[in-house]
Amino acid sequence: MQNLIDFIVKYKYWFVFFLMEGFCLALLFRFNNYQGSVFFTTANSMVGGIYSAIGGVTSYVGLGKANKQLEAENELLRSEIHEMKRVLAANRIDTIQFEGLKRSRYHFVGAQVINVTTNHSHNLLTLDKGTKDGIKPEMGVVCSSGVVGIVYLTSEHYSIVMPIINMKSRISCQLKEHLSFGTVEWQFGSAEYAYMTGVPLHIKAAKNEVVETSGHSDIFPSGIPIGKVESFGQSSDGMSQSLKVHLAVDFTTIRNVSVITNYDHAEKKQLEFVADSLMNID
Amino acid sequence: MRHKTRIRLGRMILLLLVQLLVLNHLHLFGYATPLIIGYMIICFETNVSRMSLLWWGFSMGMLYDIFSNTMGMAAASCTLLAMMKPYILKIFMPRDIVESFKPTIQNMGVSRYIWYSLSCMGLLHFSFYFLEAFSLEDLLLTIGAMIGGTIMATLISVCVEYIVHNRKEERAVGK
Repeated sequence: MQNLIDFIVKYKYWFVFFLMEGFCLALLFRFNNYQGSVFFTTANSMVGGIYSAIGGVTSYVGLGKANKQLEAENELLRSEIHEMKRVLAANRIDTIQFEGLKRSRYHFVGAQVINVTTNHSHNLLTLDKGTKDGIKPEMGVVCSSGVVGIVYLTSEHYSIVMPIINMKSRISCQLKEHLSFGTVEWQFGSAEYAYMTGVPLHIKAAKNEVVETSGHSDIFPSGIPIGKVESFGQSSDGMSQSLKVHLAVDFTTIRNVSVITNYDHAEKKQLEFVADSLMNID
Repeated sequence: MRHKTRIRLGRMILLLLVQLLVLNHLHLFGYATPLIIGYMIICFETNVSRMSLLWWGFSMGMLYDIFSNTMGMAAASCTLLAMMKPYILKIFMPRDIVESFKPTIQNMGVSRYIWYSLSCMGLLHFSFYFLEAFSLEDLLLTIGAMIGGTIMATLISVCVEYIVHNRKEERAVGK
């Protein structure tokens, strides 16, 4: 202890020296903007480094807590999923029926119309799907508003549809209320109207009565709208009526269509074939 | 002692005036200003206690700082010089001297005195200009100011030594 005191007394001028230098530096940083700014920015960057190091350590230490939080969140989400599954199961029945119905009857392939003409006598429509997507000639093409036409030619990636507004197009149809059959044909002119021919003269169709597919042909299932009755007239031979039909589909703006790829008519065809052959035997 | 203190005080004021009124307006090569205030610390004898040496150096630097608006720079430098001066003097003074030794050009010889003065002034200017620049940018400029100031201050101190001691000798001869 004595030695220590002796040491301090002997070299007290060193302590005084450091004290003075410290005082001078304090003055330097306090009263000189430049030196002060340099010193304090250096000090701050050092402090910042220390703080970031501390932050790294504390975040590592806090991982357990974060884990617990995540676990709780997982638990909550899991219970929510469970609840939603339960609700979904309760509301499932209708969907299943609808889907089953749909699957058993039709299968649709969505396609985009990439080219369409409306001002020729034999208008055609080009789709961006072809045989690769299961499209074959003589398949029906519909869109959300109604019947579009029948697939005419197919290539690997494209197919050409003969729409209602083609003079060669013949689609069997019926009046929805009167259940009277006929054929929808188109005459060169407006793309908005077609004609339903073959309606017996005694049928008094109402204006705006819906014309829909009959289901007689092998192409469309029954009940798909084609258009509405606009006006009445007689066919050229005078034996039947010819109703002017306002088409449900606007061919000038048509874009998304669906092709009915598996309208299951093979069985029906076979049955009819058998019946035909039996008739021929007789 | 009081007499000596008065002489030192007078020397300090004189040096300060010369420094502030003349040398501070001298910018060698545009940036090197000699700090003759260090001369006062160089002149102290060896029997002065380190404590009082520190106080003298500190107050000298402080006064210079107050008047030249360089708060802390010269004070720190002069304190450093006052601290280191005995060690530097030990290198250049004759070894066999026991009593008080006054570092004058006659006592030490010209070359030794110049080396002594150069070392002290070098330390002073190095610390002063380093504190002023306070960065390693423009290092060449800073070093230039250090070297220029050191050489100038050494030359001035040597000249002052010659003048003062020649006059003393003349006075002694005249008596």
